[in-house]
This record gives sequence, structure tokens and C-alpha cells, in this order.
Amino acid sequence: MDSSTKHSGITRRRFLKDGVLLPLALAAAGGGVSTLFLRRADARGFYLRPPGALEEGNFLAACIKCGKCAQACPYNSIRMSGAEAGVAIGTPHIIARETPCYLCPDLPCAKACPSGALDRKLEDVEKVRMGTAVIVDRENCLSLRGLRCEVCYRQCPLIDKAITILPRHNQRTGVHSIMEPVIHHDKCVGCGICENACVRDKPVIVVMKSPPEQKDYYEF
Amino acid sequence: MALSRREFLKASAAAVAFAAAGASVLNPKVSEAGDAGIKWGKAPCRFCGTGCGVLVGVKGGKIVATKGDPAAPVNRGLNCIKGYFLSKVLYGKDRLTKPLIRKGDKMVEASWDEAMTLIASKFKESIAKHGPDSVAMYGSGQWTVFEGYAALKLFKGGIGTNNIEPNARLCMASAVTGFMTTFASDEPMGCYDDLDLGDTYFLWGANMAECHPVLFSRMIDNRLKNPDVRIIDFGTRRTRTSQMADQYVRFNPQTDLALLNAIAHVIIKEKLYDEKFIKKHVVFKKGKENIGYGLEDKFKFTDDPKPISFDDYKKFLEKYTPEYASKLSGVPAAKIVELARLYADKKRKVNSLWTMGFNQHVRGTWVNNLVYNVHLLTGKISRPGENPMSLTGQPSACGTAREVGTFTHRLPADMVVTNPEHRAKAAEIWGIDVKRIPDKPTYNATEMFRALDRGDIKVLWSQVTNPFQSLPHLNRYRKGARKGDGRFVIVSDIYPTKSTEVADVILPSASWVEKEGFFGNAERRGQQWFKMVDAPGEAKSDLWQTMELARRLGHGNLFPYKYAEKEIFEEYRKFTVGGKDLAPYEAYVKARGLRWPVVNGKETLWRYAEGHDPYVKAGEGVKFYKNKKDDGRAVIWARPYEPAAESPDKQYPFWLCTGRVLEHWHTGTMTGRVPEIKRAYPAAVCEMHPDDAKRMGIKNLQKVKITSRRGTIILPVDLNGRGKAEKGNIFVAFFDETKLINELCIDAYCPISGEPDYKKCAVKVEKA
Repeated sequence: MDSSTKHSGITRRRFLKDGVLLPLALAAAGGGVSTLFLRRADARGFYLRPPGALEEGNFLAACIKCGKCAQACPYNSIRMSGAEAGVAIGTPHIIARETPCYLCPDLPCAKACPSGALDRKLEDVEKVRMGTAVIVDRENCLSLRGLRCEVCYRQCPLIDKAITILPRHNQRTGVHSIMEPVIHHDKCVGCGICENACVRDKPVIVVMKSPPEQKDYYEF
Repeated sequence: MALSRREFLKASAAAVAFAAAGASVLNPKVSEAGDAGIKWGKAPCRFCGTGCGVLVGVKGGKIVATKGDPAAPVNRGLNCIKGYFLSKVLYGKDRLTKPLIRKGDKMVEASWDEAMTLIASKFKESIAKHGPDSVAMYGSGQWTVFEGYAALKLFKGGIGTNNIEPNARLCMASAVTGFMTTFASDEPMGCYDDLDLGDTYFLWGANMAECHPVLFSRMIDNRLKNPDVRIIDFGTRRTRTSQMADQYVRFNPQTDLALLNAIAHVIIKEKLYDEKFIKKHVVFKKGKENIGYGLEDKFKFTDDPKPISFDDYKKFLEKYTPEYASKLSGVPAAKIVELARLYADKKRKVNSLWTMGFNQHVRGTWVNNLVYNVHLLTGKISRPGENPMSLTGQPSACGTAREVGTFTHRLPADMVVTNPEHRAKAAEIWGIDVKRIPDKPTYNATEMFRALDRGDIKVLWSQVTNPFQSLPHLNRYRKGARKGDGRFVIVSDIYPTKSTEVADVILPSASWVEKEGFFGNAERRGQQWFKMVDAPGEAKSDLWQTMELARRLGHGNLFPYKYAEKEIFEEYRKFTVGGKDLAPYEAYVKARGLRWPVVNGKETLWRYAEGHDPYVKAGEGVKFYKNKKDDGRAVIWARPYEPAAESPDKQYPFWLCTGRVLEHWHTGTMTGRVPEIKRAYPAAVCEMHPDDAKRMGIKNLQKVKITSRRGTIILPVDLNGRGKAEKGNIFVAFFDETKLINELCIDAYCPISGEPDYKKCAVKVEKA
């Protein structure tokens, strides 16, 4: 948490100096100033939007920043963006490391959306596509180092679909297997439960923007 | 981690260099690891019975890092996620650092002298008024060998009561009685090498993927190397183990008894047994049937074994046709035949592995007997790569509870209080009058807490365990502890727990490497470690606490030690010579553990096997030499199928099963204080089958009310989690101290082992 604390300090100072955004930000954050800075929006150029969100450009155009999705979320996973979000100020997003989306079967957030920024017709949580989990730091992944961690896999709400385990021989010990978590982009909904659960100080598995579909005709 | 990754890596490299150079990482005092200033020492992991070796990094009087010990044969540098966070389990913010004495509703800080004076006075008063059987010690498979030994010696040899039990009664007792009735000697013949050497693994009621994580990865690696390896998971719940097994065989709870008899039936009918082996190494016996469930207070049972012939046994098995077992178990008859043939396949090296599904079972002893039957019929036992292997739950359930014998009926090294020769041997080693050791066992764990509830036990001391979260039918025993009327409960622990809540005195304990220790793991491997850091505040080891009570009760002469740990070990070792044969203490200081019997400095990988076990003579091949009564043969038991103590009915239509998850250890008092683990798995859930949920209109994550005849709990349902309940079953883990699932469990137990059945009771589920 050291770096984020530092970051929030700097940003906070700058943002107080800027002054003009203060009233807006307070209104949007509803007092939860600290939460504004836990994850920089620009770190991955990606906001984790609530389930059923349109493609980012269309989402920003459609979202009326009413906060009804956040009100509907039983886990308080959905927060409204603050000043640092720039044009996206006041839009809903999820900070998975803090509170991920737990994929309520009836998707109350999407149902609550009056503008169509979130798809109200979405019924099946497995069809949600908020983003895709990626192991961004393989060297620091305990499972890939042969330890029996695999917390991301066991906590995945689409266990054995979005994440599976591929055992392979651990050459270092000679008698154990490395249980590699493998993420399947066609199944991962991007809920961020894995990112939340990762036991490292900096999660080695995070949700990122889903890669564009690239078609070919190879079948395995 | 207090260390940066770079520092950590540097320090690790230094430790490896030390190991390579032959410098000692055994005693942290002498192994300064270069510029990082971290001293590394060896210890076994604090958690499960696997017994992974770790290196503990100490700096500034604190544990700053741990890592898997590359030189440890069990894990070769690996750990599971619990082991990874060992450096944090002792440093929760609310660590107990001062003795606390109850004053009304408050716990007030006191000095050790005040606390021990009060405890000693309560012991004296109770013994004077109500006799020595009114005081009791409830210990643990997480006791070090020294702690268990000292408690046993004080209670049996000093105070003169058999009121001592370990929490291992709740997890391993059926394995013990299984071994004792079949082989007349506790603990497995095989070892972890069988995970590398076998090719067929039958798992019974064992979620090895989560509960023995490092061993599981070893078995899976065997399959990666050898595509012929088959892993068959018999279970009542689809687990991570089932997911990676070649076959998952679902059966109805309790019907493992019928299945194993049906497997034996097929082996006999198709003449797949090893006639020569049976003739030479096996006798047949039958015991009592309809043996009850231990539900009523002061339940007593004594088996009455009768010898029978092979033909009698065959006759007994006639009823257990695959069709009959199929009707009971839900496993197709053809599948039973197929798996019986696989068990008996002469080309295959077959192993059976089991844990709590077998042991926490109202017929736990029987089902242990029955799995040995199959191995004895086929002769697939005591050979490298093919053995039945009882996997252990706790780090020293074997080393302390079983080998030291901290059960009401036991003395060290498989001896029992009911045998006058055994009492005489103990009295001789302890230098006491043999009359001091009472010859009748008193209470098993459940009965001990029933006696506290009734008021027959007045003073109860709990060490290194959390009974007031972990006992079945918990409400009764939690209430019982606070009934007053002279009842006095002492709890030694490192954190506030559900048990310290009901205590009259709380004693702050030293844990793990805050004291010198010795654990024995599931493969008979004894492992020693030194004290590496001071315990916080005024916390003291349980060994010190027990010896201090002894001194105050006038039994100080039983503990005349200068270097208590080593001297206790050498004294205890006298019990083991000529049988379990532990090595001298110094040997364990040097080694990364040794598997007993250790004779002439050589450990034993396979017991009862010629060329491996020093007690088997040349030409004998296999000899079950411990069972002198039956001329060195093992026993095949005719044990029938009998139903569970409580089965689902109209009112309570679901089976409830409880258990563990990989992330948390037992009642979660340590792992729950590691923020990373707590975040990874914060709270208990109720696993349920999606069809059952749909029928009842319950959606995933929705809260449900679960009710048994004994208690109620509200939990969110998990329809698609790591564990998948079968139809008509639910599963709840027991680590969550805010959700006491054990309040619902039934306190029925196996009449022979006294081990409760946490895997089967009837509940109803409603929308909350």
C-alpha cells in the first residue's frame, strides 16, 4: 500500500491546488476521498465498468452519472469516479482489488440503469464481459513458482471454465507438479474476484480490457 | 512482507549457499546470512500433517521471512499458501501477551504467579473434594512431543488420572484403532515415496488437493511422468481433488462400508486374491455388530473379537454383491466390479489414501479395517509403491498424540493403561510407584466435555486447540463450560478464540519457533527445531506452563530437567527402543527428519517389509511382527454396513458435511489473522447442488438458513464453487468463527475409536 498512499498524497495536493474541481469531486465521491486514489485510472487506461456496460466510448456517451447502479449493488462494489477520471468523472466503476463484482445472479446494477449504459436485458452472468483477467507478473505468481496457492482459480466464480489448472512437471524439485492457472478469455467475465483474492502485495493477476477477438480457422 | 523482494532473494541465496557449504542452518544462532542480517533456521511447517520443511528467517528478534526448505525431502522447497504465510501467523495484532483472569464478565490482566497460584488452588481443591478424575487436560496434535509428554506424565504419573485427551481424537482416532485392530501397531507401513512409486491411487474421503496440497502435487507429478497412473476419487462431494482425478466415484454418505465389502466380494468371487499371501500373513476375525453411536452420556463399548475362517469371511461377504452395494451407494454395479478388478490387478501398484471421510465416521474403525482388508486380500501392502496410507491432519497428531499417547487409554509407544506390564514399564521409566497410574481409561474427548457439562469434571485445561469451536453439538459444550458450580476452564493459546471466550483463566502461549519443538508427521518422520525468537510479552511455552503446575501441585520431582526439551525427548525415547525406535535427539538436530523405526542410524521407509524394516528377518518377505497375538499376522475383519447415526428424513432432508479449505487451518485462529489469507477466503459459505437450489428457488449467493436438531446458522449459498455438493447434500467449512457450523453437527462417535462423525448429520435448508 506504500506507493498508493504516496500517490494519493501527491494527487491530493495537486487537486486541492487546482481547486476548481473540488466541489464536483466531493459530490461525486460522497466523502470517500481515499477511495478515489486507490487505483489510477490511467495505470492501465482501463476502467472496470459494472456488468453489462457498453463499449467504453458508447458507455461514456450513454451514462447519465445517476449512481443508481451503485445504489443497487449489495456489496458496494460500484463506485462513482472522481476528479482524476477526467471526462469520465461521475461514472460508475469497480476497483476489483478493493471490492470486486460478485456477479449477483439477477444483476441488480444493470437492471437499475435508466439510460441503457448498462444492458438491462442481460440475464446470464456468464455472458458478462467487463474485461479479462491476465497474469501480469508471472515471476511473482506463487503457483507458477510451484507453491500450492491457486487462490485465483479456487475463488473464480467460473472455476474450471474461466480459469483451469494445467499441471506440469516441476523440474526444480523433480517430484512435484506446478499447478498453473490458465485463463480462458472466451469464458472470463472480468469480475475481478481473482484480482481481489491474489495473496501478493501487488496482485499478479488483474483484470484488463478484453483483447479484441481475432478469428482464424484453427481448431484444437 | 517486511522485506523487499530483492532483500529476500539475496537472503535466500545466502541461505542456500550456507546449506551447500555445509554450514548449519539448524541453529539460527550460528547461521548469520550475510549482509541482509537474516538468520535462518530449520523447522517443520506449523500446519498440517504433511510436515513440509521450512527455513525461518529471523532478524531483530522477529520472524521476517520463511521459505520452503530445499533440503527437506517432503517438500523440496515448496509450500502451500498457509506455509507461505508462516511468518505472519504469529504476529496478529491481538496476540495474547499476559495471563488473564476472569473477574465477573471481564478478563483482567494478572501476573503468571497470580494465574498459576489460582490454577493450582483450583486443581488442589477439586482433587481434594472430588478426586483426581475431576480435573482434566485437553491437548492437541499440535502440541510438541515435549509438551504432550509432560502433560501425559503429570496427569497419569503425577495427579493420577487418565483424564487427558488430544483434539486428535476428533481427527485421527479411527485411524489409530484401525491400525491397532488390524496390525496391533499404530501408523502407516508406507511413506510419501509411495506417491512417486505407485501407479494406482484410490482416494477415500480425502480432499488431498486442498488438505494435503504439497503431497497432492507430488502424486499428480507421478501421473505426468507416467501416463498409466490412475487416480480414483471416491467421495460424497465433488472437490478439487475429484476435478484432477481420472475418475470421480460419487457414493451416498456412509455407504463406503458397503462399497469396500463389495470390492472384497468381487475380488473373492473372481479369485483375484493372493492365496499365498493370505495363508502366510492373514487371520480372519469378526467383532460385535449393531454397536451403537455413542449419543448417550457415559456410553461404553468393548468389542469382542472372535476368530473366523476364510470360508466364514467369504460367507459374510456373500451379501455384499455389487448390486446390493450399488443400491445402497448409488455407484453402478459394473463400476464396482471394474474398480475391484483395478484394485486386484497384479500388474498394478495400488495405494489407498484417506483422511477425515474415513476417520470422522460413526464406523470409522470399521471402514479403516475394510480398506486394509482389500490390501491384505491382494497382498498389496508393505511393498515400495503399494500401500494403504492414512493421511494425517495435524502436524504432530502422529508424533505427539499417537506416539506419545496423550489419549485417556494410552501410554507412550502404543502402550495402554489397561495392561499391567505397560503400566509397570511406564512407572519404571518415570521412577514412580506403578499404583499411581490408574488402570482404567476415563473419557474420550466428547465424553470429557460431556463430563464438564454434567459437572463430573470441574477443572479443565485446554492447550494448543480450540474445542469451543471445534466440538460437534457445540451449543451443549459451550453452555456446559459456563455453568458455574465449581467448573473452572483454563485455556492456553496465542490469540483470543471461541474457547478463550468461555475460559476462567487465559494463559498466553509461545508458539512454533518461539520455543524448541519436535513434531512427527504422517509418514513417521520426526522433525526437530530450535527456539528462534522470543514469544511476545510474557507468553510462555505450554511445556513451561505444565511443568509449573506440576511444581505447584508437588509433582516437580517428575520434571527434574535442566534442558527440559532434550531430556524429555531422551526419556521418552526409552519407551520407543525395540519398537518405534526414535533416534537420539542429536540425530534429529542434524537431519531434515527421520522416519522411525531408526535402527543403527538408519530410517525405515517401509515397515513389515524385508530389506527395509530391521525387524523383519531374511526370508520372511513380509511380517506383521507387531501382532504377536496372531503369530505375526494381520487381521482381515468381517465388518458390516450399518447406517449413520442420523440420516436425512422428511423434516431434515439434507446431509450436512463439514471440512476444511486449503487457505485456512482448522478454526482459522492463525490463518484468519493473515490479512492476505483472510482476503483470499474471508467467510464460510454453504455449498449446495444447483438443482436443489433451483427447486427451492434459491439463487447463488443468496442467504439460507440451515437447521439441524441441534442448531441453526445462516450462510450464503455457493452453487458453483471449488467444492460441488451432490444432490441432497450440503457442505460447510468450519474455520469461520463467526459461523459455528459445529453447532449443527451431531456428537455421535465411532464406539471403538470414540471419534465423532463431522461428515454426516441431517439438516433442513430454507431461504433466510
